[in-house]
Amino acid sequence: MNKKKPVFLYIYSTLFFIYMFIPILIIFIFAWNNSEGYSLPLSGFTCKWFVELFKDTIAKKAIFNSILIAVISATISTMLGTALTFGLLNSTLKNKGLILALLMLPVLMPSLTIGIAVLVFFRTLNIPLGIPSVILSHVSISISYVVLILLGRIEDFSINIQEAAIDLGASWLSSIKDIVLPILAPSIIASWVFAFMISWNEFIITYFLIGNNVTIPVYIFSQLRFGLSPKVNVISVLVTLFTIFMIAIFILTRSSFNKIKRETSKIP
Amino acid sequence: MSQVLKKNKNLIYPGFLWFLVFFILPLTVIFIYSFTDNFIKLGQPLHFTLKNFLIIFERKYYLILLIRSIRISVITTIFSIAFAYPISYFLAKKTKYDKILIIILMIPFWVNYLIRTFAWKLIISENGIINKILLGLNIIDEPLKLLYSEFAVILGLIYTYTPMMVLPLYATISKIDDNLIEAALDLGASKVRTFFDITFRLSLTGIFAGTILVFIPALGSFAIPAILGGTDSMMIGNIIENQFMEVGNWNFGSAFTLALAAISLAMIFLYSKLFGLESIYKNQSI
Repeated sequence: MNKKKPVFLYIYSTLFFIYMFIPILIIFIFAWNNSEGYSLPLSGFTCKWFVELFKDTIAKKAIFNSILIAVISATISTMLGTALTFGLLNSTLKNKGLILALLMLPVLMPSLTIGIAVLVFFRTLNIPLGIPSVILSHVSISISYVVLILLGRIEDFSINIQEAAIDLGASWLSSIKDIVLPILAPSIIASWVFAFMISWNEFIITYFLIGNNVTIPVYIFSQLRFGLSPKVNVISVLVTLFTIFMIAIFILTRSSFNKIKRETSKIP
Repeated sequence: MSQVLKKNKNLIYPGFLWFLVFFILPLTVIFIYSFTDNFIKLGQPLHFTLKNFLIIFERKYYLILLIRSIRISVITTIFSIAFAYPISYFLAKKTKYDKILIIILMIPFWVNYLIRTFAWKLIISENGIINKILLGLNIIDEPLKLLYSEFAVILGLIYTYTPMMVLPLYATISKIDDNLIEAALDLGASKVRTFFDITFRLSLTGIFAGTILVFIPALGSFAIPAILGGTDSMMIGNIIENQFMEVGNWNFGSAFTLALAAISLAMIFLYSKLFGLESIYKNQSI
């Protein structure tokens, strides 16, 4: 087709990648800058902001709460979401379309709407705000993402295997426990990681429901509103490195899933 | 389908019930709030009214705010299409390293947007990098006041949501059959005409999907205008937050929230009528 090298596209794409990464680079640089302010030129290398961060009890609480909320809500939503997806795909249900359309809403609606709605709902029922209510809401959002991830990956191959297992005399429970779950394991791990990241990054809903407590995004937001400290850079650096680690796990599960898929498709 | 497999249906209920109680029910509650003028309590009668919605259109302040929010979101969407199209086209058609490049591109996207917005604050602030460079090169005499303006809000929104445009665009452009493009060129169409009549037209689905994924969160944004914007660049989200966290007028706040939800639902509905809802998540290749 077009044999000429698209020079413009190469230059543009390079600039686009720079544009995407420059803000993160700047955060990283100022995390080691030896001055309270954020002005150039840089004033020397220091690790003191890392020490400062770990002296900050609110920051430590934020890190702990973020991990706690994300782990619990990812675990619950992965269990509920996996069951939901599997049941939805492999059953004779009439309103499948409607259920799927409803499940798309948390993905597409502004989180502000969701956060406000849940806040009003909890306050009307006199349910106290705090970590448990954040988890209740995060799970309801993450279920949708779990379903979306699994929908793309389960497709129709697992039902045949389940059917085969049952034809060969397995009970329903054992067909799920011994056949379906092991095959889906990499996808389930991927959904867990995804649900974890949704909860981990979620700010608006958490902000409305957390009450007097903090998570990392809430901590960063309050720091941005009322005075800045390079401690925010340090926590950002840690969050970014952690994010890259989670993306790596997510990608690894995909390749191991494809391997299982190839192998199971060899079964006649 | 065998009798045993029918048991699969029961797997739906725990998750869907949780979803109904903690997602759908709260939306119903603010729906009721926005049409009443008192607090909801069991056993108390509700007074239905349209007052909450009328205020939005009667008070000039709220109307200006609504129009501004829509303007900011439209500009954000247009720029995100313009920024995302060339890179998506490059990834889909001009490189064989597209899979790994998409993953790299998603790293900043997955880093919390508050962190990235914070970085923009550092870049455009009065003694930030842009001003330092421009002053150093003697292009300007005094620092530009970029921060706390509508410009800053739009800048932050475009940066945050452009990756949401790249994903569906990349997915639709890579599905376009190269033979079609080649055929058009062989039959004598110019490169420009081939691009607009074939590539661009076939990627419209991606543009619409991306528009939903960019416009809706931009319209509902609250943290980015709170961090980068000033008092004259507040958006709907900031007013809603203010109603609930400070003023305490739940009925009016609910009406504003419902208006926001209605705009996004209308867009989702239009999209699903045109292209089907599955195409949004089927295009997400991450």
